[in-house]
Amino acid sequence: MDNRRKYVIPGDVITTGPFRPEQNVILEGNKIISTTIGVSEIYDDSAKVISLTAKYLPKINDLVIGKVISNTSLSWELDINSCYVGFLPASDVFGRDFSAHADELTSKLKAGDLVATRIANFDRTRDPLITIADRDLGKIDSGDLVKISPSKVPRLIGKRGTMIQTIETATNAVITIGQNGWVVVSCDNPEGLLKAKKAIQMVNEHAHVANLTDQVKDMLELKSES
Amino acid sequence: MGGRESTLVLLDENGIRCDGRKVDEPRRIMIKAGGLKNADGSAYIEFGDNKILVGVYGPRDVHPKHMSRTDTGILRVRYHMEPFSVSERKNPAPSRREIEISKVIKEALLPAVILDNFPRTAVDVFIEVLQADGGTRCAALAAASVALADAGIPMRDMVAACASGKVADTIVLDVNNEEDQAGQADMPIGYMPNLEKITLLQLDGVLNAEEFKKCVETGINGCKIVYELQKKALTDKYFKNGKDQ
Amino acid sequence: MTQSIIDDLKKSQILELLEQGKRIDGRALDEPRTLTVEIDAIPKANGSARVRLGDTEAVCGVKIQPDRPFPDMGDKGIFICTAELLPLSHPSVETGPPSPDVIELARVVDRGIRESHMVDISQLVIQQNKSVVGVFADIVVVDYDGNLFDACSYAATAAVLNSKMPKWEMKDDVPTLVEGAESDLPTTTIPVSITMAKIGDHIVVDPNSDEWAAMDCRITITTDSNENIVAMQKGGSGGFTLDEIIKCGDLSIKQGAQIRETLKHAAKGS
Repeated sequence: MDNRRKYVIPGDVITTGPFRPEQNVILEGNKIISTTIGVSEIYDDSAKVISLTAKYLPKINDLVIGKVISNTSLSWELDINSCYVGFLPASDVFGRDFSAHADELTSKLKAGDLVATRIANFDRTRDPLITIADRDLGKIDSGDLVKISPSKVPRLIGKRGTMIQTIETATNAVITIGQNGWVVVSCDNPEGLLKAKKAIQMVNEHAHVANLTDQVKDMLELKSES
Repeated sequence: MGGRESTLVLLDENGIRCDGRKVDEPRRIMIKAGGLKNADGSAYIEFGDNKILVGVYGPRDVHPKHMSRTDTGILRVRYHMEPFSVSERKNPAPSRREIEISKVIKEALLPAVILDNFPRTAVDVFIEVLQADGGTRCAALAAASVALADAGIPMRDMVAACASGKVADTIVLDVNNEEDQAGQADMPIGYMPNLEKITLLQLDGVLNAEEFKKCVETGINGCKIVYELQKKALTDKYFKNGKDQ
Repeated sequence: MTQSIIDDLKKSQILELLEQGKRIDGRALDEPRTLTVEIDAIPKANGSARVRLGDTEAVCGVKIQPDRPFPDMGDKGIFICTAELLPLSHPSVETGPPSPDVIELARVVDRGIRESHMVDISQLVIQQNKSVVGVFADIVVVDYDGNLFDACSYAATAAVLNSKMPKWEMKDDVPTLVEGAESDLPTTTIPVSITMAKIGDHIVVDPNSDEWAAMDCRITITTDSNENIVAMQKGGSGGFTLDEIIKCGDLSIKQGAQIRETLKHAAKGS
């Protein structure tokens, strides 16, 4: 690990001097301090820490997998694995002028349903607003939910999607990755399903390893899997 | 508990204390990060015979809603002792002592946590004392700090903690149960090691100005020792063999 | 208590697998999870055990101290078992007075041990009608993954099995400790509870948290060392057929015997 990247914990001084504080760091006097457990990175004029522990913080346009907690006659509340609960208004599903009863809402989505959603809006004064108004969004009817750390999602996708493509091609599984760390895996073939889930867990646990894509490829090609 | 002598020699002529330690030597300390499956962050500490488990949830929705703040997240701390943790079985209901210690630990952690990025949420710290043997609040605070980091709560520094005191007219580090009962002063300290700020400070006993200075300095040295173990706990979980979990 | 909302996907997966005789974690229907028991986890208590059943974890500490006898039972000692679900064990647990679920948990665990007469309270008298020995088994749950009934019961049983009882004598009308005269807490049997859930038409032993959320109803059956059934509790909103209850009874004896061996060997300091 070169000396511009270091393992840090909260309170560790990453560097001093004229650097712009970016994610997961603060400026105290002229010291840049990490606020989280992670890997620090120093650039020419800025410094940041890639967190290994931070919870998912909603970002507009993120695709997230959510689970319905409850509903009123006006909206659903979804667990999106974040500090905040996702808010899905009835108008998103029924149209702007529709006035629904609570049980009409439950006929579409009820407590416990898994849903592929997108973050429509988020500022910290309100709960994140989500939408299912696109073709690739909506209730998930089949598949297994796998939970990984949100910080590992970029690794699971890979550069230009290489990691996720490797897994999907080798197993014939369809994988929907939520930016919040919740991943849905469906596969007609139970062996493919098991392999795909195993590959996802492997990325979650060994994200730091350099040639991970090759290692995952090797694991997937092994014929003798129970 | 049977076996301890009634005429206790707190400090002998060789500078050895009743449990065999030197004056600036803390008890055996072990800290582990993680361990609980459901909590967002957790830690376990053994500090002498103290055994304390801490679980953290959050930032998460606040119930009841009227307790939430629109400008920042809030921190809630519950310090709780199990009925079997002390010599005489303790009633499970929260005592005034537990409520005070909960507040003091919360105010020791508040300067360290950064919650203004999470308005309308709460971070809950649950401290469970499984076995108590003097100095539980310091051990609890040290473990709570590790659990908060494990949970991914942003912090400007860790908070380490250790108690110093006066026993047999001498300033000592890390007062145990007998020394607390028979000694002359007990001073628990909570300290942010990088920002060099004291965030918990209490005193039971009598110290003159000179002793007071020495006691605080001794306690801070103890905090630095504890900080190394907090670092080790997090490093072992997250960075060991370059492997992250 | 711990109300995780189960999603339909998971519930239908559980049912589908059960139709094939399988469970989501790969266990057989009558197979409990791995049980680890650490004796003497709290050395300062008179007896203690830390138990892990899958990812459910409970700690029991036993405190033994002199007490006044109950008014109509001057020739018997006192045995009290409590259970508490700690807020760090699951995100849905709130602080404050215990919910009906937790009260049921505590009472079921207490009854399982009491009805088996595990602790011989007639041997716990210091002075009849005046001073007796009180045995308090306090259980706390630190991590939740289903089936608290069995985890708590095993923690209490293991703790009681390896408890050491001090000796007191009356001196000037006050129970006074006699130094160095500890003995094993007198026990007569080893009660073992087995909890089973009904999901669809299937009975599974030791449900994990997903199975707990998906189940229609459950039953906890406690047996003693002579394979007698000493306590039962049905819970949940569904119903069992007579055949299912008989099957559960048989399972509780069979699986109970195996768990009894684990608890016995843990008590011997392994």
